Amino acid sequence: MNSFVLGDPKKCIGCRVCEVACAVAHLDTEIKTVGNMNFSLNPRLYLVKSHEITMPVQCRHCEDAPCLKSCPVSAIKKQSNRIVIDETGCIGCKSCMIACPFGAIELIFSHQESVGDGDLLQNEPEVIASKCDLCGGEPACVKACPREALQYVDMVKERTQRRIAAANKMGGFHNEFMVRE
Amino acid sequence: MVAKKLQENIKIDAELCTGCGRCSEVCPVNAIEGQQGKAQSVNAAKCVMCGQCVQICSGYDSPFEQYATSRSQRLQERNMPIVNEPLFAAYYHGDFFKVKKRLADKKQFSMVQCAPAVRVSLAEEFGMPLGSLVPGKMVAALKRLGFTRVYDTNFAADLTIMEEGSELVKRITEGGPLPMFTSCCPAWVKFVENEYPELIDHLSSCKSPQQMAGSMFKTYGAAVDGVDAQEVYSVAIMPCTCKKFEADRPEMKSSGFQDVDAVLTTRELAYLIKEASIDFNALPEESFDKPLGMYSGAGTIFGVTGGVMEAAIRTAYELITKEAIENVNITSARGEQGVRKVVLDTGSLKLKTVVVSGLKNVVPVLEEIKRGKTDFHFMEVMTCPAGCISGGGQPKMLLPVDGKRAYENRKASTYQHDEEQRYRKSHENPEIQEIYQKFLGEPLGHRSHKLLHTHYKPSR
Ligand code: SF4
Ligand code: SF4
Ligand code: SF4
Ligand code: SF4
Repeated sequence: MNSFVLGDPKKCIGCRVCEVACAVAHLDTEIKTVGNMNFSLNPRLYLVKSHEITMPVQCRHCEDAPCLKSCPVSAIKKQSNRIVIDETGCIGCKSCMIACPFGAIELIFSHQESVGDGDLLQNEPEVIASKCDLCGGEPACVKACPREALQYVDMVKERTQRRIAAANKMGGFHNEFMVRE
Repeated sequence: MVAKKLQENIKIDAELCTGCGRCSEVCPVNAIEGQQGKAQSVNAAKCVMCGQCVQICSGYDSPFEQYATSRSQRLQERNMPIVNEPLFAAYYHGDFFKVKKRLADKKQFSMVQCAPAVRVSLAEEFGMPLGSLVPGKMVAALKRLGFTRVYDTNFAADLTIMEEGSELVKRITEGGPLPMFTSCCPAWVKFVENEYPELIDHLSSCKSPQQMAGSMFKTYGAAVDGVDAQEVYSVAIMPCTCKKFEADRPEMKSSGFQDVDAVLTTRELAYLIKEASIDFNALPEESFDKPLGMYSGAGTIFGVTGGVMEAAIRTAYELITKEAIENVNITSARGEQGVRKVVLDTGSLKLKTVVVSGLKNVVPVLEEIKRGKTDFHFMEVMTCPAGCISGGGQPKMLLPVDGKRAYENRKASTYQHDEEQRYRKSHENPEIQEIYQKFLGEPLGHRSHKLLHTHYKPSR
């Protein structure tokens, strides 16, 4: 079963630290200060702020992923419990954007192309689809949030833990019940 | 009018602000107003311009949102050069263009000074590891930018110790207002003027190192080069957003002209270097010019919390006992706690001192002083959490975790630089000895009084 990151609107204050951390985690080179940034931050989760709610939204890594099915060049794949976009394969057709019910996919300029062989056309930044890839299992957003408003949900682990907790509770209850009988 | 403009130096861009409230958590004077979740604003009457809000803010201009204000308008509003970096809601007004224009005039005679904290942070803006120590490259960059004389705030920090140390001894022996407060941090000075006017007399009358350097540039420095004071363009590179305000204070004209004409933050200096296409990392190590660029280790530790106190103790001990201090490393003044007590036994006198970092931490101490409950002699206060190395004009970290790392590394580099110096005590700096011989006379003397000391006014 795929994992995903879930925001808690009761804890989220809308500071965008998660967005910044996400964008930084996906840079090609290590950059620490704002002054070293020569382009905009491109996060893969998006703060939603309305009168009713404040929380970031990102890819849910659906089991039956509509984006994956919609991609005409098969650039979206399932890889070790994640749905990931193969950026070199992506043609920027936006099918996945239309398909995603969470609005979790954005189009960005790829900066990988900024160093080229002098051919101007090849040096043009490519437009590609971008979305949460769970940072390979340790999501940067979850780590950075100053309010612990984000949770990395590993459904398999979560389910097992809940079952154990439930068993313990019910077991205790049952024994007590039995003793009193 | 001028005062009004100055006070609005720190601002919040309502379009980018998400109202998360993290800035008001770090603001030491509760100057940030607004409802949670709504755009915040800075109350200029309360703000002390420390720039801590600027450092913490992560409300940036997302490429996925549409704004009524264009990027170029935002850059213009902030006086920033054309850069592609993300812009954040909390910001300060810069002075980039003003300085660039003057430097473009090759006939301009210019003098520049750099605060101790800049040499341990500037390289970060060029991708070098956090806290890299680069005084030599910094000097080389400033020379290539066209500054005629590259002098140093550290020299003036040594000068501050001479004056402030003597003032302290005088207050103790002749009975002046005690405890005496340091006056190097303009945000702290402003805070006393705003919130504790009844304690103004406790502030040392010494100008800050930036302003001492400024008045020396346009007097002694101008004479050394045989130029008129009015021909000198005096620039300060600071880790601090409040230093801009300090330089523009109307009383800071003891040379007869504005002593410091312009202040750039560490970040703004990095913009200048990048715009001039100087390859910072490849620069050679060059040395500060003499006489006003020579410094002791005591001068360089002004950049960290506890540094002014440690530097003062190294000299005051000798002033009081007439003997050299056994160990120059006063480790009890170093540390992380917001309030630290340091006692120095000089035989005849137990010198009791307090070091405060983070302006919020000083309030309980000030309340005790008001109630007459304290018995210490000297208090150092720095507004920023780890001293000037953590100032509002320093490189801004993308991630909060790197903020802590940057403080640690900058601090370690500062103490390393202290240990590297031939002279560790301000009064041993030969150029300091010479400036007193040739020009100033003696600490607290007539000339010093005119050029190196100032006065304060309650804000209300
Ligand atoms: S970092 Fe946390 S509190 Fe801030 S916007 Fe993201 S989820 Fe919300
Ligand atoms: S200025 Fe920045 S830190 Fe302050 S509330 Fe707005 S977004 Fe948050
Ligand atoms: S500059 Fe300092 S005092 Fe002013 S609003 Fe920001 S944090 Fe508060
Ligand atoms: S501690 Fe230093 S950087 Fe911070 S406000 Fe004071 S002088 Fe400026």
